[in-house]
Amino acid sequence: MESKTSRFMRKNMAAFMTIVAFMSLLLVWELVARFTNAGMFLPPASEIISKFVESFTVPIGKHRMLVHIGVSLYRVGVAFIFATIAGIFLGVSMGYSKTVEAIIKPIFEFIRPIPPLAWIPMSILWFGLGDQSKFFIIFLGCFCFITVNTYDGTKNVDHVLLGAARMLGASERQVFFRVVLPSSIPYIFAGLQIAITAGWSAVVGAEMVRSDEGVGWLIVMGMTNGNTVQIMVGMLAIGIVGYILATAMAKLEGRLCIWNQQQGI
Amino acid sequence: MKNKTAKYKYRILSVCSVIAVLFIWELVTDILHLISPMMLPSPAKVLNTLIYKLTGGVNPDGATLLQHIAASMKIALGGYTVGVLVGVPLGIAMAWNRKFEMFAKPLFDVIRPIPALAWIPLMILWLGIGYWSKVGIIFFAAFISATINSYAGIKRTSQVHLWVASTFGASKRQMLFKVAIPTALPMIFTGLRLALGSSWVALVAAELLAATRGLGYMIQVARMLGRPDVIIVGMITIGVIGYLLSTVLEKLQNKYVKGGK
Repeated sequence: MESKTSRFMRKNMAAFMTIVAFMSLLLVWELVARFTNAGMFLPPASEIISKFVESFTVPIGKHRMLVHIGVSLYRVGVAFIFATIAGIFLGVSMGYSKTVEAIIKPIFEFIRPIPPLAWIPMSILWFGLGDQSKFFIIFLGCFCFITVNTYDGTKNVDHVLLGAARMLGASERQVFFRVVLPSSIPYIFAGLQIAITAGWSAVVGAEMVRSDEGVGWLIVMGMTNGNTVQIMVGMLAIGIVGYILATAMAKLEGRLCIWNQQQGI
Repeated sequence: MKNKTAKYKYRILSVCSVIAVLFIWELVTDILHLISPMMLPSPAKVLNTLIYKLTGGVNPDGATLLQHIAASMKIALGGYTVGVLVGVPLGIAMAWNRKFEMFAKPLFDVIRPIPALAWIPLMILWLGIGYWSKVGIIFFAAFISATINSYAGIKRTSQVHLWVASTFGASKRQMLFKVAIPTALPMIFTGLRLALGSSWVALVAAELLAATRGLGYMIQVARMLGRPDVIIVGMITIGVIGYLLSTVLEKLQNKYVKGGK
């Protein structure tokens, strides 16, 4: 039996150590940046944080930070919605119908290992330099993950459940909507979660190659101008938004598929 | 018997579908000229270019396909090796030692959501546009997957196994090397595979932005010169190599790593 104080200590140890870790990192960073030659390449942490806060009111380039984030989120959002619809549709039909599987799978398997960013040159040829080509790239980045996961989910439906449903006289339609679809939802959500992260990464890549605004533009402009502070401010924004997207998706999954936690796939 | 014919039926269907796609592609490009060759070259043209680049053609980007592949592989494997060598021990250490975890995990969690691509500008500013900046980018891509999976793998070690080991007088060290790491091995390997995948993706991005050789560079130059056939050859090569890399690791995993699946 441990005493109350030591339990309190142990509980707060983690929080305490987190603070120590960040403090020591920031301190070392600050000292290195201010007092050694590395300062030429590494601006002090305090400068980055103050610039980051400032960027919400003072525009970088044409826009303020929130607009840059908004533009990137809009691009991901549109492509993600299309990818979700197309991916679930294709994944379910491939998992459910062997004929569709035989027709689509070889082509899909051929396209799947090509990274979305490798489509950038082609998509610029096809769709020009505007938003459309970015939608296309992000769409591809999300789409493959969603399709694969949905397909796996539909394939892995418990055969006992299928048999039971059929034996009890369910129509094919009922089997599909009452058994196949619900039992593949956890897989679909796992796919959506990977897809949103991949989509966020793809938008950064696409904007870095060619764009006039957005978070990818921020860091690539910083590179062109040799402005390390701007790059790091951009990276901070990318990291924070990426974290929020991933967490939000996980929360959504927790809300919508409560049964999933008990089953633990 | 019936199963076998059904299997054949689906296989034939697959072959037909691939042929149909190629045929339609050929039809709209070379035969009917519905799509301009600047937008989509015909499959025959792509095949021609592939053979030309494979057999030592250096136009239009100044190197043969094999030279580009070699350049890309050198960078990808370099960054991957460093990333794995740092990531796996870090993941294991974070999961094994609570004090270290409390210190290092929050710092790692800050780096983790930043996509490897976002490091490109910083790496280029710090290390130039040569070999090392690209290795640095791929390092981050590989490092993150390797660390996360090793960490999760060790965390999965059953407490009961550890108790048994310590009851039988195993030292801390033995518990780590004889119980925890073998438990984690399948997860670690999955991490290695994911890391290789993300390294390859990051490589393409890095080469699109700053390179003088490599597959990403090849497709980027081909776009500027308006040679979509070369772009498609490059994309296919990138896809095939990515696929081969993950297959090789999967085969190794199935052969040498017990348990897991």
